[in-house]
Amino acid sequence: MTQHLTTDNIIDYLHGELDPAEDALVHSHLQACAPCRAEFERESSLTDALRAYAHAEERDLPGMVKAQLWQTIRTQRPSAAERLAALLRPAIAVPAAALLVLVTYFASPLGRPTAQLRTIDVMYYFEQHAAEQMKSPLADRNATSSMLETSEAAFTGSTTLPVRAAAVMDAVR
Amino acid sequence: MGVPRRPVEPPTAEQAAFLERAIAEYGKATYNFAYRLTQNESDARDLTQDAFIRVYRAWRSFQPGTSFLSWIYRIVTNLYRDELRRRKGRFHEEIPEDNAPQEFGGQRPLAVTPIEDYVEGQLSEPLSQALQMLSPEQRQVVMLADIEEYSYQEISEIMGCSIGTVRSRLHRARALLRRLIQRQQQQQQR
Ligand SMILES: [Zn+2]
Repeated sequence: MTQHLTTDNIIDYLHGELDPAEDALVHSHLQACAPCRAEFERESSLTDALRAYAHAEERDLPGMVKAQLWQTIRTQRPSAAERLAALLRPAIAVPAAALLVLVTYFASPLGRPTAQLRTIDVMYYFEQHAAEQMKSPLADRNATSSMLETSEAAFTGSTTLPVRAAAVMDAVR
Repeated sequence: MGVPRRPVEPPTAEQAAFLERAIAEYGKATYNFAYRLTQNESDARDLTQDAFIRVYRAWRSFQPGTSFLSWIYRIVTNLYRDELRRRKGRFHEEIPEDNAPQEFGGQRPLAVTPIEDYVEGQLSEPLSQALQMLSPEQRQVVMLADIEEYSYQEISEIMGCSIGTVRSRLHRARALLRRLIQRQQQQQQR
């Protein structure tokens, strides 16, 4: 090869992006040609400098990011007090488990909360989960508190308990 | 009980655990990626938080066995692009690469340039300053290719552009970096 390598060629070579034949050509040219080797060294040292810079500039994730993340997720849902109040009202009259309505909130992409509400019918919930509830480690407590606890725990990420109920709406009456 | 049945998506402990683990394993890398992209801490924090909220919402769409980091980098890239559009009303996406790089005196990509960040950053370093002169796309391609060591193919997937675009952006970004660094060094020597 009499023609010198282009810088673009060298950059692709440096990043291992040439096909085997081209790669071999560049490799052998670099062995034989001092000016191209010098250019290769300049490109290599730029990469080295970028890595060293990135390494020196590396930052830890600020604790506030994680805290605010969970906060954002949590605040898009009713507070525990609201849910408890809503839960206890109907619980007086009818079995609480039969009245649960699942509510799921989702964060908006850019963190401006837009709550999205989804409900399912009570019997669906009951059919799906009543049996599991009975054999759960929390079954000896009353269903109301265990469900509230698991839903809370899910949002702090501090448990592996299965979460079935997110909230009870005051719409249940 | 006549309410029609609908699909249920309760937030599960599994979902919470997924997010916890994602933050623990990839939070730092994501934050650093966002920081290098935005060049300031406040934007990097917001971007990281928003990206993980997306992860939380879309956690089921993550395919085990694929790279989580590529996935969240793509999310960060898209969020950043949206944010730039929102702030500027448009995005530099298709400006010809010859014109895209801002020489000294050019505008930084984000309107927000906290002076504290500016002073605290290692501005004395030619490389640091040169990086800030690149367009967001050029900075990103350099980060992904040289710092994160992704292949052109992977970068094209993260950035949502062709491999050819990745290649030409990287070539131009590196050429510009070299020119800028050289100029910085000459100025410092005077
Ligand atoms: Zn040569």
